[in-house]
Amino acid sequence: MNARLVVRLIGSVLAVEGLLMFLPLIVSLYYGGADYPAILISIAIVLAAGLLLGCVRAKSELLRPREGLAVVAASWVLVSAFGALPFVIHGSIPSFVDAFFETVSGFTTTGSTVLQDVEAVPRGLLFWRSFTHWAGGMGVLVLSLALIPKMGARSIHLMRAESPGPSPDRLVPRVAKTAKILYKIYLGMSALLVVALMLCGLDWFDALTHMFSTAGTGGFSTYNQSVGHFQNLAVEMVLGVSMVAFGVNFSIYYLLILGHFRGFFKNSELRTFVSIVAAATVLIALNILPGYGNFFTALRYSFFQVTTLISTTGFATADFAVWPVFSRAVIVFLMFVGSCAGSTAGGIKVVRAQLLWKNLRRDIHQSIHPNAVRVIKLDGKPVDEKIMSGVTGFFYAYMLITMLATIVVSLDGHSLETSFSAVLTTISNVGPGLGQVGPKGNFSIFSDLSKITLSMCMLLGRLEIFPILMLFTPSAWRK
Amino acid sequence: MNIVIVGDGKVGYTLADCLSKDGHDVTIVDNNKKALAKASETLDVLCVPGSGANVRTLLEAGVETADVVIAATTGDETNMVCAMMAKQLGAKYAIARVRDPDYTEGLTLLLNKLDIDQVINPERAAALEISRLLRFPFATDIESFAHGRVEMVGFRADAGDPVVGVPLSKLRGKIPSVQFSAVQRGNEALIPGGDFEIQSGDHVYATGDRDSVTRFFKLLGKDTNRVRSAMLIGGGHVTYYLARAIAGMGVKLKIVEINEDRCRSLSEKLEDVEVIQGDGTDSELLESENVRDQDALICLTDRDEENLIVGLYGLRAGVRKVIVKVNHLNTMDVLGDMGLGSVISPKQAAANGILRSVRALSQSKSAVIEKVYAILGGKVEASEFTALPGAGFLNVPLRDLNIKKGVLVTLIVRGRQCIIPFGGDHIESGDSVILTALEGTVANLEDAFDAAGAGK
Repeated sequence: MNARLVVRLIGSVLAVEGLLMFLPLIVSLYYGGADYPAILISIAIVLAAGLLLGCVRAKSELLRPREGLAVVAASWVLVSAFGALPFVIHGSIPSFVDAFFETVSGFTTTGSTVLQDVEAVPRGLLFWRSFTHWAGGMGVLVLSLALIPKMGARSIHLMRAESPGPSPDRLVPRVAKTAKILYKIYLGMSALLVVALMLCGLDWFDALTHMFSTAGTGGFSTYNQSVGHFQNLAVEMVLGVSMVAFGVNFSIYYLLILGHFRGFFKNSELRTFVSIVAAATVLIALNILPGYGNFFTALRYSFFQVTTLISTTGFATADFAVWPVFSRAVIVFLMFVGSCAGSTAGGIKVVRAQLLWKNLRRDIHQSIHPNAVRVIKLDGKPVDEKIMSGVTGFFYAYMLITMLATIVVSLDGHSLETSFSAVLTTISNVGPGLGQVGPKGNFSIFSDLSKITLSMCMLLGRLEIFPILMLFTPSAWRK
Repeated sequence: MNIVIVGDGKVGYTLADCLSKDGHDVTIVDNNKKALAKASETLDVLCVPGSGANVRTLLEAGVETADVVIAATTGDETNMVCAMMAKQLGAKYAIARVRDPDYTEGLTLLLNKLDIDQVINPERAAALEISRLLRFPFATDIESFAHGRVEMVGFRADAGDPVVGVPLSKLRGKIPSVQFSAVQRGNEALIPGGDFEIQSGDHVYATGDRDSVTRFFKLLGKDTNRVRSAMLIGGGHVTYYLARAIAGMGVKLKIVEINEDRCRSLSEKLEDVEVIQGDGTDSELLESENVRDQDALICLTDRDEENLIVGLYGLRAGVRKVIVKVNHLNTMDVLGDMGLGSVISPKQAAANGILRSVRALSQSKSAVIEKVYAILGGKVEASEFTALPGAGFLNVPLRDLNIKKGVLVTLIVRGRQCIIPFGGDHIESGDSVILTALEGTVANLEDAFDAAGAGK
């Protein structure tokens, strides 16, 4: 392990975080909030740490996959820890474990909160809390790649370690350019969303913070009632459509920009994703119809809840924790699957579900025709067997971690539904779960041990498990 | 520029590496996923799996908007089809690697019909390089500039040479006008300055007009006699091209080849060469064919190991000049330590050739690139430019131009005159300027000067 290089890269990521913290500082000063000293102190600490680590001189610039994984895993932990400082220093979240949970939840675009009264938090900190979604959505490392010039060819390992999906790769020959294209698409879509929200009548603070949450598919709101606070159909529709849009693989938007419309609309992951959204919306609407009395109202709530859950955002306009069991079962399924690879969303990703399904069909086929040779294809292209085994391995790890974490969390003695959904919602980066952690509840009910376990789940889910697991593998650190 | 390279072998990979570092956007196409994975991880390039002769693959790689398409797979036919198709799809310039002598002969005809802009033949390029080395047997490497008027010659400095241990600035005037343009010491490549001292064992490049270079080496007491006889081990493509290339030079050639059919075909195609059927690694045979009396021993079999062993045998037998061909090994330094200074790699030669033409395509307003050579295992590049009217650096004394670190303005050729430049000299429009620079520092002449100076 080239530890010095890892440390230096982590330093530069922290420095970028320090710079990003100036945004909430501006907001805080604009509103004249009491939180600006806390933010200012945090900026000083983060920048100092970043510059200090950034000064470490590496003997070689060799960046192998393992260094890529280590940089990504360690930066995410540290960025979250340092990002928690403003809350602790200001005192709005006095416990460091709580603040860490909240910030991890922000950067991993989960949106689970320990805050009982969000509205009591000053605006600068609220802005920072939502902004972590936006920065974490596309990836803090990818952002650094776009900002730091000359990271070189091997920075592909950083991008691969951070980007979700079975085989993330470049869109254009250069990694830095790829990162810039992704961020341009992200910025463009975010800007559109802000304009749309302001047209719907939100003020710019609400529009910006909710844009951050939607674009990152995070789910922090600045209101206790989440998006339900606005009671505004237009806002719900705009957010619903946007959440689906941000759940789509960004690289296929690049096809759209290049004018390859066929490639966009024929993309099987996109088609499957949209089909799941449509089917789930209709099924849940029919199921909750008796509770709302009117099909249009049922459809309105069903659509928003489905889009917010499958995109792993986690806003809420209705308390789905009290919906009928069938609806909740569908919701658990949506939380598992999540959205498309290469988006800002979590879950195991639609493309992995597709590949697992095709693999299952092949296994069945092969038990009937033992000599059959069948290559799994996606969009007409053969999928490498290495990717296939990676996908099955990922799925197993995902399940195993969900089970083990549920066992740890159940020590707190809450109901199985609460414990299990808390783990599922964090590892899939959704936000609210069912039972006591439903849209009306929050995660302050858990012990510190559970909060740390759930924080790890969020990181494991966001970074797709392997970078974090590698940190705990001794052979990665041996010379 | 957008460059698509088809074929991720040694040539393709080397090219992708150089071109991507030059700032071009490179896409590689290959069937071999393992090779692609390596390129994807170590180079900043886009990799597309698939066959280079497949339209869909080529479209995916973006040949329709490519400025240059380089077909460098192992198959001549694939390369031709690929280059042809790329041109049809809209690529601006297509280069194909074609090695078979049967194609080479009718190539001009083919080129026009197939609409391929350039053909690169690694074996032929290697053969030409060897033929240059035969003219200066002491040299490890010879490159020519300014239509052959200027030569850059690499040699190993030995203890007792008059240039060893003296600061270069004190050498001026005492020796014929050559410029020391690059030095390899151990693993390190250096661009020498005025206070640099050459040590024995250094691999030094001296550049100058042909006359001065010859006089310089005479002064050093190096052996400047021409090679009169040479033994070639192995009868492949390189051997054939080499025999053709030096046909008029008065060198007596003896070719040793193990395969009888090949021997017959060489004997059919070539005049005035002696073809001997036998195992070139067999010392009995080498002795009975008088290897000790040969001026040169050139090992050109397909196997690197055999070439090395036979080469070492030749050195011990006291052959004046030993040249070995290497396909796979990338350890020129190690071979140098063993005494094998002249190592020829056809693939490196091909990559050099393509690199040269691609660089020449990247037009600049201030200078035209004429030639680029990668020397010292690619760590240093020597390039020749023609300065164009209107460039910012014209008529400014060099000392005011802020020449970048690691760059040496080696020679200025003005008309019939070769100038070894000092601070007071300047570049005029139309001059040929030869630069030596560390890898990756200079893609065009204006890059040699910091913006402040070039902008004046």
